[in-house]
Amino acid sequence: MSFKDILNSGKFVVTAEVGPPKGTDIKEMIHHIELLKGKVDALNVTDNQSAVMRICSMAVCRICLDHGVEPILQMTCRDRNRIGLQSDLLGASVLNIKNVLCMTGDHVLAGDHKQAKPVYDLESVQLLGVVNSLNNGKDMSGNDLRGATDFFQGAVVTPEANPLEPQLIKFEKKVKAGAKFFQSQAIYDINRFKEFMKYARRFPVKMLAGIVVLKSAGMANFINNNVPGIRVPQELIDELKAAGKEKALDTGLNIAARHIKQLKDENICDGVHIMAIGMEDKVPIIMERAGLL
Amino acid sequence: MIITKKRELQELMENLKNYKSFFLIGCSECASLCGTGNQEAIDSLTESLKAEGKEVTGGFVPKTGCQVLGTKVELKPFKEALDKSDCILVMSCGAGTQAAVEIFEDKPVYPTNDSLFLGNMTRFQMFDERCSLCGKCILDKTGGICPVTACPKGILNGPCGGCKDGKCEVSPDIKCAWVRIYERMKRLDKLQELCDTVLEAKDWSQNIKPRTLATRPEKKEEKKK
Repeated sequence: MSFKDILNSGKFVVTAEVGPPKGTDIKEMIHHIELLKGKVDALNVTDNQSAVMRICSMAVCRICLDHGVEPILQMTCRDRNRIGLQSDLLGASVLNIKNVLCMTGDHVLAGDHKQAKPVYDLESVQLLGVVNSLNNGKDMSGNDLRGATDFFQGAVVTPEANPLEPQLIKFEKKVKAGAKFFQSQAIYDINRFKEFMKYARRFPVKMLAGIVVLKSAGMANFINNNVPGIRVPQELIDELKAAGKEKALDTGLNIAARHIKQLKDENICDGVHIMAIGMEDKVPIIMERAGLL
Repeated sequence: MIITKKRELQELMENLKNYKSFFLIGCSECASLCGTGNQEAIDSLTESLKAEGKEVTGGFVPKTGCQVLGTKVELKPFKEALDKSDCILVMSCGAGTQAAVEIFEDKPVYPTNDSLFLGNMTRFQMFDERCSLCGKCILDKTGGICPVTACPKGILNGPCGGCKDGKCEVSPDIKCAWVRIYERMKRLDKLQELCDTVLEAKDWSQNIKPRTLATRPEKKEEKKK
């Protein structure tokens, strides 16, 4: 069953992500894809994440398909103009890539080619509109396509953004532009996320909660001080501190598993998106502890 | 106004090493407000050039250095000093430099400044970029704050995920353009309008360079006479 069908069937879905490497050695990446095969429902492939130049998302999506894992093509507007984006979408379509996650993309200044010209000819809302249009057999200029695409398109949302309301206005624009599913930025406060879901449930979209494993109290503090749109509550930082250095990661895995279990058991959202960020081998452990394997 | 920044003397001298005598042209408009093309700037550069062993045959601050014909007329009384120089230095923006190139067909012309952006003066010699001259204004849709300019990504439909506590991911010194737009629209009680407006991708064909414009009335009748 496709990711779209699984999501629409009402099953609690799990997605994870794979970050393409910088360079042509893909042994480790393939190991991670194989590790997650049959466990997750789909695998996001990041698009030059953090503006660091790597293998393109589309090629790795195709590799995922070759290894029997359904990919979600992450597509940012940072590096391609509207011609490049549409052309890549058509290319992805004929490579049988069905899911696309439309994002604006981190600024080039975040990455390793700071002198690059940032493009942003479009942004996430407009890119969703373009996907919708290609699905309807027309390009952005209104020209007919010989064969339409059939993408299942999603977007991202930041429930812990500060200020939140401008982000929610954008979220609603993304829904109107045709987003069918959302993967959220990492969330750590389930009660606050429940409040967000009360709002989000008013819209006909599927919501996957973002899960990022906390490795240590230091990492949690770093996130709170530096990463936009993520807030780790003090009680979790205390829990990690109390666990001590040796058991911090294990405690972080437990926290992730506990949150996933609660999200599923209380039917708070439609699934989770686990961002392991270099710890892909830990994803099955989290899923097991959450009772999903 | 056009914001200009003085080049470091070392970079300037690299261009000027093969010339001996210079005539300096400033501008009484933007470059004067920037302090890069006023009489003080001309005097200061004159001193620096002399210290490097160069000769300065004269200097002048025209009213509007980018106005080709007007500047040409204003420079007429300086013919002798201009003729004596073997190089013209323009202490305004790239437009001023190219006006001089048009006026002095047979003389080398070099810029002493880098032209940075179209800016507002917020305090004395402090400048902010507010307009990108994109060719199609959207300020009517964004509460009068330009996201094409104020957002490093120039995005048109709300903040990206990089906004932290109202600040931009590119720099904490930049307030998120879309938070500013949101706050202004809220103050004006126009949030619904903000929610309902989805801006389409910009038409960059309005921005094909070089752009030209004639706003004066056609004078075909007179020409016939």
